[in-house]
Amino acid sequence: MTVQEAAAELPNARRRARRSPLAAQRQRMGILFTLPVAALIGSLLLIPIGQTFYYSFTNWDGFTSQWIGFAAYRHLFNTPEFVTVLENNAVMVLAIPIAVALPLGVAFLLNTHIRGWRFFRSVFFLPTAVSWVVIAFVARRFFDPDKQGVLRSLLDHTGLGFWHPDLLGHEHSALLAVMITFVWSVFGTNMIIFLAGMSTIDQEIYDAAKVDGAGSFTVLVRITFPLLKRFVSFAFIISLITAFSALFSLIIVMTNGGPGYGSTTLEFFIYEKAFTESNFGVGATAGVVLFVLVFAVSMPLLRLLRSDD
Amino acid sequence: MRRIIIGGAALAAVAVLAAAAYGAAGSSRSVTLTLWHNYGTGGNAVATKNLVAAFQKQNPDIKINVVSQPGGNYFQLLQAAWIAHTAPDLSVQWTGLFDTKYEKQLLNLKQYFTPAELAKINGAKWSSSNFNPAQGLLVMPLENQFYMGFYNKALFKKAGVTSVPTNWTQLFAACTKLKNAGITPIVYGADPQAIGPSPYPYYDLSYIASGLFSPAQLKGLYTGSTPWTAPALVKAVSNWASMPKKGCTNSDVLTKTNILGAFMKGQAAMIVDGNWDTATLREAMGAKVAPFLPPFTDHPQHGVVQYSGDGFAVSKQSSHQKEAVQFLRFLMSPTAQHIIAAAGLIPDIRGYSATNPLANQMLAFAKSGKIAYPMIDNVIQGDVVTTGMKQLDAALGGNISAEAALKSMKQTHDALPAEQRGPVYH
Repeated sequence: MTVQEAAAELPNARRRARRSPLAAQRQRMGILFTLPVAALIGSLLLIPIGQTFYYSFTNWDGFTSQWIGFAAYRHLFNTPEFVTVLENNAVMVLAIPIAVALPLGVAFLLNTHIRGWRFFRSVFFLPTAVSWVVIAFVARRFFDPDKQGVLRSLLDHTGLGFWHPDLLGHEHSALLAVMITFVWSVFGTNMIIFLAGMSTIDQEIYDAAKVDGAGSFTVLVRITFPLLKRFVSFAFIISLITAFSALFSLIIVMTNGGPGYGSTTLEFFIYEKAFTESNFGVGATAGVVLFVLVFAVSMPLLRLLRSDD
Repeated sequence: MRRIIIGGAALAAVAVLAAAAYGAAGSSRSVTLTLWHNYGTGGNAVATKNLVAAFQKQNPDIKINVVSQPGGNYFQLLQAAWIAHTAPDLSVQWTGLFDTKYEKQLLNLKQYFTPAELAKINGAKWSSSNFNPAQGLLVMPLENQFYMGFYNKALFKKAGVTSVPTNWTQLFAACTKLKNAGITPIVYGADPQAIGPSPYPYYDLSYIASGLFSPAQLKGLYTGSTPWTAPALVKAVSNWASMPKKGCTNSDVLTKTNILGAFMKGQAAMIVDGNWDTATLREAMGAKVAPFLPPFTDHPQHGVVQYSGDGFAVSKQSSHQKEAVQFLRFLMSPTAQHIIAAAGLIPDIRGYSATNPLANQMLAFAKSGKIAYPMIDNVIQGDVVTTGMKQLDAALGGNISAEAALKSMKQTHDALPAEQRGPVYH
């Protein structure tokens, strides 16, 4: 068979493949097996998301709603505290690189199997198993400027007793305390992600690098990090989503969003509007903004990841 | 003919017997009501349990199924139940704007209680539609509550404070004496009632407002005719916010925890709180503790924040409204009032007193010509309350000025829809 004949035969082969009863049956069964999950996701996820979008254009108070269109968004963006809340979220983003870089460095050290690496791996992973509420209470105790505060006690015992920072008591530092606690609490998860990623890297590459005279830092920067890019992206997105949408318990216990609006993030703002003030319409509007923000930041990263694949 | 007469008589007798039997069956038909509360296990929960037991004893045909719901999301659960048409027949409600907010779901009790009966209820005004009992009661108050201050008599004596301060000048003078004696004058921090870490500024703001406005003028804060940035209010709140800087409070006003414990241990001379802690304080401190009116005013306080903060309401969705109202009527009876007092609460029906000496001292204040003021957080819009909680705390913590805090509250107020700041309370 010549190349031309083979090329002419190709469409016929494709047609035959499409008509194959086995393939058609597989396709039908695939659809059939996918249907329950699709229905479940549709009813539990897509419908509520659709409803949220709808209600974001209304003044829904839990009982009645009236369509007010884009006025809902205009009103939200003209609210001074909402701007502060958005700024707080922007500041929270600054914690993400730290929440990724620190566990990456520690995972690299643990991956070299330093003495006691198993013990340290367990210790660093421990916060992941603790509930956010407990973490928040521990953090409150840690940052308490009173004598019972752990931070104050540490400073007192290290010759820095003259400095008693009251991070939770000031509008411009409360969010810093929340960010520090957040970095600590996601440390274990990210570290495990990186350790899992490092275990997928072929040892022969490290051995070859050693033969070529590469030091630890060079290995980290030139080999480990590039090969972990997908894992770093994943950790970045997970940390971002956590920072934007999973810190409610941490904030309500540590600062209640204050002082002032100092530590009120968008997620906490949504709770206050919807469930404290029964302004479910405003809550839905802010929820859509949060969705768009997370989407806008995550999508470029996901695209980057996909292009690498 | 005789047979016909006998037969007719027999039929009539059977019919009468059947009717009587049906009637008897009807009267013995029992009704089960559901009651939701968010009282947890405190005094109010004890009172509710005992009230229900006494009511059931008096009305064996009516059973009340008491359901304790979580306090944190109680109103969300209730709202969801109303939407799903599964609401309980009876539910605990807070009063003021908390009940007018749910007015469409609550049975208006106008036709069930006469004006004479309503006149016996202290909190009838703030539990009624548009805060006017003539427009119908929405909630039957369970108890009378006070926002109040407590002071430690022994610490006052130790510091040489001979009389209880009644205005700003006297308060700051007392603070100086207490501070010089090494005593924290007033302790602030996380509200003992809440899991959250912030102080609750509305105990204080209620007394600041009572020093400036008449109860009727408070409506101006709701409608906006008295702006939150009114100079007199800014001045008074500035005085209040300056207390930490003047050494009147602990330094960590925003983050201190267990302030009630600190007061009971004698670590501070004063605390601003509510009557719900009277039993705890009395038990821990005995005769050393006494109540006072927070002196956040230029002149001696002419008012006392005395308010019926919670009670029971009937849902419009209830299919046993008559029986549910019967329970509310029972709450006004002497039996019920004694149960309420025995649980450590202050009865809300006129003529009944409390069992706790501290509570009775507050009642004595109220009877001594002081005007009763509502808790301000119950009569201003929820959105403004939320903003105030954040911003007033920030002002007390020295993060922003009092004026900035009040300006923020005004902005929130101004952004509300017109119907939420009109002449009718919603």
